[in-house]
Amino acid sequence: MINTMRSQLADLFYQNAAEMPQKQAIWCDGKTATYKEMADLVSRYSNFLVSKGVEYGDHIAIPMNNSIESVALFFTAADLGVCLVPLNPTLPLDSIKVAMLSGDMKHLIARKSFLSDCEKQGGINVPGIKVCLDGDFEGAYSFNEVAQMPTTRPTCENINGDESLILTMTSGSTGTPKPIDISQKNKVDRSLAHIRVYGLTKDDRILAATPLYHSLAERLVILPLILGATSILLPRFTPAIWLKCAEEQKPTFTIAVSAQLAQILDLIKQTDAQGIDSFRCIVSSSALLEEKVKLELIERLKCEFHEMYGTSETSTVTDICFQKARNKQKSVGLPFDEAEIKILRDDEDNELECAVGEVGEITCKSKLTCKGYYKLKNMMEMATTDGFFRTGDLGYVDEDGYLYFAGRKKELIITGAINVYPNDVDAVVNQLTAVEECAAFSYPDERLGEVVAVAIVVKDGCELNERTVKMYCARKLADFQQPHKIFFVDMLPKNTMGKLQRNRILSHIMNMGFDK
Amino acid sequence: MTDIKEFVTDYIQREYTVPEDVDIMTLNYIDAGYIDSMAFIQFISTIEDEFDIEFEVEDIDNPELRIVGKLIDFIKSKVKEQQ
Repeated sequence: MINTMRSQLADLFYQNAAEMPQKQAIWCDGKTATYKEMADLVSRYSNFLVSKGVEYGDHIAIPMNNSIESVALFFTAADLGVCLVPLNPTLPLDSIKVAMLSGDMKHLIARKSFLSDCEKQGGINVPGIKVCLDGDFEGAYSFNEVAQMPTTRPTCENINGDESLILTMTSGSTGTPKPIDISQKNKVDRSLAHIRVYGLTKDDRILAATPLYHSLAERLVILPLILGATSILLPRFTPAIWLKCAEEQKPTFTIAVSAQLAQILDLIKQTDAQGIDSFRCIVSSSALLEEKVKLELIERLKCEFHEMYGTSETSTVTDICFQKARNKQKSVGLPFDEAEIKILRDDEDNELECAVGEVGEITCKSKLTCKGYYKLKNMMEMATTDGFFRTGDLGYVDEDGYLYFAGRKKELIITGAINVYPNDVDAVVNQLTAVEECAAFSYPDERLGEVVAVAIVVKDGCELNERTVKMYCARKLADFQQPHKIFFVDMLPKNTMGKLQRNRILSHIMNMGFDK
Repeated sequence: MTDIKEFVTDYIQREYTVPEDVDIMTLNYIDAGYIDSMAFIQFISTIEDEFDIEFEVEDIDNPELRIVGKLIDFIKSKVKEQQ
């Protein structure tokens, strides 16, 4: 018997296209597509990839930009049962190669400039096909052929929802990548949970303003298209582009990164922008927003304001509406129905639950949790206690069950919502021969929340300047890993056992007067 | 030698193509988001490697060099100095 089960995620989208063919599905960078046009594009991409030999279960790497084409590819991937691996196009080629290996990528879809850069640096081998998104490139199929493909949806059977849809790469450039494996079912469940919690409807215009190679934007473009709403996708973020888009495209809902909201508010104040009146609800994610910023945003944008807490592994765990829980202003809210939280004591066995108000590690069990880390089953098991994923964040719960964020257990720098592992930066700076030792650490920044800083002890008799360090890092690290601040110090703070105390570097620098 | 204008305009458009109705020579590529401010230093180092020139710290901080045309002129003058 033939099983004709198709992708639920793609089905939901195609159903909307059949019911509302002329409705606007998406806007990005001045271009729009109706549901009919979007469905035709998705089908054409599917037919194109199938005709070139792409098969169920294949992994496709794509240095991804924010575009209608990228969004269509998510639905193509779902419909074919293949897995997309969106990559940060600014990563150095070596890191891209490592990421491609760890994600078992068979095919590569990229812009011409990427393929050409690869060529200059010795090329990049994939066992499957290469596709050039914008024009012709030797050795790659051209996406221009897509226009000749039929718009009929290809028949793809046996898609049960457990297929990996997206591998999200979480790693630095030198560390081992930890690809977060998100299934088709994960994506559907996550979308449905957010639709319920935020009361989203077909009338909503949902803005995504972060890069599509991060899970937040992926969620914000897939969600509207399976709901039958409209997706507004910002091509790239600057506060000015965001404001212009908000004025012209009239979004009603967005989940933004808190660092973005602070920058947007600054610009609104500077320009006295008035025309942003379409939002019904804004959700801030990734770090707590200062109360002053929150209040001013609410006053200016006149909408419901939420904050959420979550991780890429678990999706959103808690949410709070600022206006509805005025006595819980410092909290990140109550758990989603799908999630359960437990605060565990930070001790050796890590199994004892904290009392109300006691700070410990935030752990979470959620129906929205990803499949795991791709090919790193042990790593996910190691990060899980009794079914609860250990987030590496510290927090506590009050008597009403509200969660409060209290810092991070992991040595991590979060700059503009992107995780930077200090070891990755250390490894590169240490390659400079004049460096005796060094340590990257988090430095507070108004615009990005935190930036990467590095404290360096220079070898006796050697010389090193800031420019040399910055230029070396520019060649070896991704954009978000670049150190913004360099401090030359006499020593690094260590405990009596000689272990680096990264969390004390900032105060050490301040106390010693190095921060000028 | 690589054409300076072509190199700079190609790099800026690695992720997004500048629309045809935009005058690319007067474009502020940072404000317009074509190069993220975090990626600026990488852009400068790539130019240094490609044309074998060096930017001084004050050049890196010079806001004028965020304009495509001014940056191209600057690279041209640096290359000339080298020769």
